[in-house]
Amino acid sequence: MALLDPVTMPSPIGKARTSEVSKSKDAETPTQAVRTIASPLAQVVRHVYPVLLLSLFLLRFDALVADPVAAMSSSLPVVVAMQVVYVVTCLPPAGSQTTKPARKLRPGEKKKPGSESIGPNIAVTTLVALILSSIATLPLYGIIILFGAPFLTHVPQTFLCSTHMAVLGLFPLFYTRGVSSKDWLEVLSAQAPFDEAFGGLTGACLGAWLGAVPIPLDWDREWQKWPVTILCGVYSGYLAGKILGGTLAFGKRF
Amino acid sequence: MHRHNVLPLSTALLVAANLLIPVAIILFAIGFFPYKPFLPGLAEYKSFEYGPPPQAPFDRLIFMVIDALRSDFVFTNNSGFQFTQGLISDGVAIPFTAHATSPTITMPRIKAITTGSTPSFLDAILSFDEADTSSTLAVQDTWLAQMKAKKEGKLVMYGDDTWLKLFPGIFDRADGTSSFFVSDFTEVDNNVTRHIPDELRNDDWNTMVLHYLGLDHIGHKTGPRGPNMIPKQHEMDGIVRMIYEAMQTQPHLQSTLLVFCGDHGMNDAGNHGASSPGETSAALVFVSPKLKSISKPVKVPAEFVEDFQLYNVVEQSDLAPTLAALLGFPVPKNSLGSFILEFLPFWSERHDKRQILLRNARQILDIVAATYISSSPTGGQYNLDCARPGSVGEELICEWQNISISVDKTPVGDMDDGWITDASKWLYKAQALMSSVASNYDMSMLACGGVTTALASTLAMYVLSTSTSTTALSLAPFVLITVLYGVMMFASSYVEEEQHFWYWATSAWLLYLTIRSNLRMPRKSLAMGLIALGSMRLVRGWNQTGQKFAGEPDVVTSFVAANPPLLWCLVTATYALVTFELFNGLGDIPAVVSGSVASGLATSAISFKLAFTNEDAPELVVGLARTLVDIFDGPSLVNRARAVFLGLGLTSIYPLYSLLLSENKSSKEKAMRTLHHLYTLFALTQSRVTNIPLFLLFQAIYLCLSGLRLDVTEITTSSLLLQFSSFFAMGGSNAISGVDLSSAYNGVSGFNIIAVGILTFVSNWAAPVWWTSALNLLLIQKRQPAEYGSHSVYRQHTAILTVFVTVTLGFVMMACTALRTHLFIWTVFSPKYLYSMAWTLGQHMVINVAFGGLLYWLGRT
Repeated sequence: MALLDPVTMPSPIGKARTSEVSKSKDAETPTQAVRTIASPLAQVVRHVYPVLLLSLFLLRFDALVADPVAAMSSSLPVVVAMQVVYVVTCLPPAGSQTTKPARKLRPGEKKKPGSESIGPNIAVTTLVALILSSIATLPLYGIIILFGAPFLTHVPQTFLCSTHMAVLGLFPLFYTRGVSSKDWLEVLSAQAPFDEAFGGLTGACLGAWLGAVPIPLDWDREWQKWPVTILCGVYSGYLAGKILGGTLAFGKRF
Repeated sequence: MHRHNVLPLSTALLVAANLLIPVAIILFAIGFFPYKPFLPGLAEYKSFEYGPPPQAPFDRLIFMVIDALRSDFVFTNNSGFQFTQGLISDGVAIPFTAHATSPTITMPRIKAITTGSTPSFLDAILSFDEADTSSTLAVQDTWLAQMKAKKEGKLVMYGDDTWLKLFPGIFDRADGTSSFFVSDFTEVDNNVTRHIPDELRNDDWNTMVLHYLGLDHIGHKTGPRGPNMIPKQHEMDGIVRMIYEAMQTQPHLQSTLLVFCGDHGMNDAGNHGASSPGETSAALVFVSPKLKSISKPVKVPAEFVEDFQLYNVVEQSDLAPTLAALLGFPVPKNSLGSFILEFLPFWSERHDKRQILLRNARQILDIVAATYISSSPTGGQYNLDCARPGSVGEELICEWQNISISVDKTPVGDMDDGWITDASKWLYKAQALMSSVASNYDMSMLACGGVTTALASTLAMYVLSTSTSTTALSLAPFVLITVLYGVMMFASSYVEEEQHFWYWATSAWLLYLTIRSNLRMPRKSLAMGLIALGSMRLVRGWNQTGQKFAGEPDVVTSFVAANPPLLWCLVTATYALVTFELFNGLGDIPAVVSGSVASGLATSAISFKLAFTNEDAPELVVGLARTLVDIFDGPSLVNRARAVFLGLGLTSIYPLYSLLLSENKSSKEKAMRTLHHLYTLFALTQSRVTNIPLFLLFQAIYLCLSGLRLDVTEITTSSLLLQFSSFFAMGGSNAISGVDLSSAYNGVSGFNIIAVGILTFVSNWAAPVWWTSALNLLLIQKRQPAEYGSHSVYRQHTAILTVFVTVTLGFVMMACTALRTHLFIWTVFSPKYLYSMAWTLGQHMVINVAFGGLLYWLGRT
């Protein structure tokens, strides 16, 4: 919701994208799902990445339970790096898809690495998406608080949790969708078509919500402490949503 | 409802489903809460083959209960009981931790202490119903009755009047105190202490019962580490000193035994009722100079342990047989206690020792036999096939027969201490077995209740499925809530922490409503959603409830109660809002009249709230509020409450009049709003002062919902979620101790069961009723002008709620049946069933269906 903020921010990418959208498409034509890049490298990365992310999470799980703040902050750069590699290799940057929508969908033989000079600059897009994701961490933090996270205590835990959520859920969306207000309005109204990025965000949010379920149990386990279960939900939800969004649910809407 | 001669089929089915609900509840309750059979009459010393009963070392008993005296309050380093600790280290006092079984509230505890039995769960309910005499112990066998039967002296009692209610007419001299306002830390105890010096000089009594409430009040108010706790412990210690010094100096008190104990403990929040270690671990100390000869040295002060099990742990029920032996009377018939072995050295003769244990065992054996065996014994022996015992009870009896045979064979002189161990082991085993099988469920009744509920829910679901205006998709959130809630009923922690489910679901629901309307009206819905979610976040943080996080800081303890001016600002804002709305609602009559009516109502309501808070929580009445209390000083609380209720009743005539006579749509809507605000004022009167600002937040959420343009199904789902969330936000829970009785007597001077019942319900369910009334305003707007059948909106709303109620009731019944042998059946699942009864009969049938239906009918155009 407060994620709408970026919409109002002027950005060259967003401007270009919206103007093109309004020119090339009807006002009632909804946004398209973003396809992953079809190159063999991209496909390999796309399928290996969830396994890597999951193993990283499982590997760091004990550390996370022992000291959530240390584990979350030390693993954050790794997760960011992995996300950047995945996103850059597998997903088309904002603006690249809409330039030739009709041609892109069809030919399988036409490989389209993102570094083509016609498309947007990948480095800039990545950087902008990262900056936007880090800004969006704050509103995300607010939403987590509104959903019942501790407000006065556990500030670093909750904040790091929302950072991880932003890196996983929002960064790919900023990368593929830019700051198009139409796209984001659809995303925030849960009307966007499912793809890897939007599916990942939906999964991460649902996972975070479901992650709160085991906390009240009287099992007195160390892992029930804040925000271990939430982070578990975020990671598993993100991966599930990403995979489903990229495959079964691709292009579908709520 | 009956404007049409022919009821549509679905309406008839819905009515039938609702009528089946109370039937199902009663059937299930009869099977689930059976009255425990008990042996009538007073125990007498049976002629015994081992001779007359042994000589008792004591002839007088001073039994002093200090309410909520947890074990560590007396025994650890950080205690105010220095004198008592000195007595323990001198060996003239013997310390124990007495385990109190759940429910850890005063009345069932007193029953356990005096009868030695484990009170059935019904006692917990009956303890609230003070007019009921079926729970008195006047006809039961207790050590009080035994002391009276000795006819060696009078029985005197000072302190908590629960004793007087439980034992009507048994005390010769008594002065009861009541714990109506827990803010009273001193008066309630001084009223006990002032009698003690005189009574210590009197020698006409043989039993003196004292019951101090102050320490419990301090616990409820400020928790176990509150600033008044240590001074109060010093005060109690001083009373022990006074009694002990009298025992040393007064000749007639030489054979007096002082027993002081807690009836239960308290948890870290200072509350009790459930079964956490803090609540079940009460202190128990026997004091007499005579004890020096038998006591063993112990470490003083004791090392603090997490589970409060300090020194030897005994059951509270063990008091009955122990007192019986120490004071020389037969063990009360229904006692499941086993004699505390530490006192056995009082009798030097092995013969006497054997007698005490044998008599104790015979008495328990009678209960085991009464429970498990229908045939009467022949010649002291039961005809049992001990090779293949048919039940645990028979096994127990056979085991005892083996033990007693070995006793018979051994001459007294050769008897070793091994036999004592065997006998006491058997006693513990019997005690554990008989306490756990305290209830024999009537399975066919349970099944009847379950089947009736299933029938009711099938009817309700059929009605819902035939409803044309709902789709499967729009019902999906509701179905999800119902199923999740039902499954949750099988997990004890989720029952204890139910509030988290409702907060969790409500937050998601509010976000869903926001997202859903985001595309239509982006900015508005974003603002609405943020306000609603923000208010909801405050609401859920307002009162800490449940078991796991009990006592942790919440909005009330950290900000509102800690900062009374802020509290009173919020309270004033709430009253001002209601007054303003009332003034608007009465706008058709001249402003002079409507203004004076609204402000008069507000003034009387606020003056009552101030005066009530001054009694209930004086620490909140400071500064300007204190000045106002002094200005308004005069009329009694009862009269003030009556003035408010009378004012509300008279004012409601006007909107009712315009509803019944006017045909104008806008004036009807206005009148409905006025009625809603009149109820709000009533709810404020029945709510604790710290909860009053919650109604401001509810109003904010309500305004957001009305801006989000909900359809009927969404209104119903919101209603359901907010009713439950707000109940827990006001401090409600699924624990017996969560019932707030402080507002139950507003405007009632005697005990009027109907008035008190209604007031208790409204003070605990004030917020859910508010939501019924508020969302009815939205529901009325959904009514189609030319709607066929004219009730389909209300019918659909009721059908959904009925499905929820019947399905979840079914789940609760299944959980209670499936988990009837679960460890937590009496502490978690049975209270949950009672709460389900209140939710179903009170909130669903009376409020949602009847009251909501009345409001909907009144608002017809």
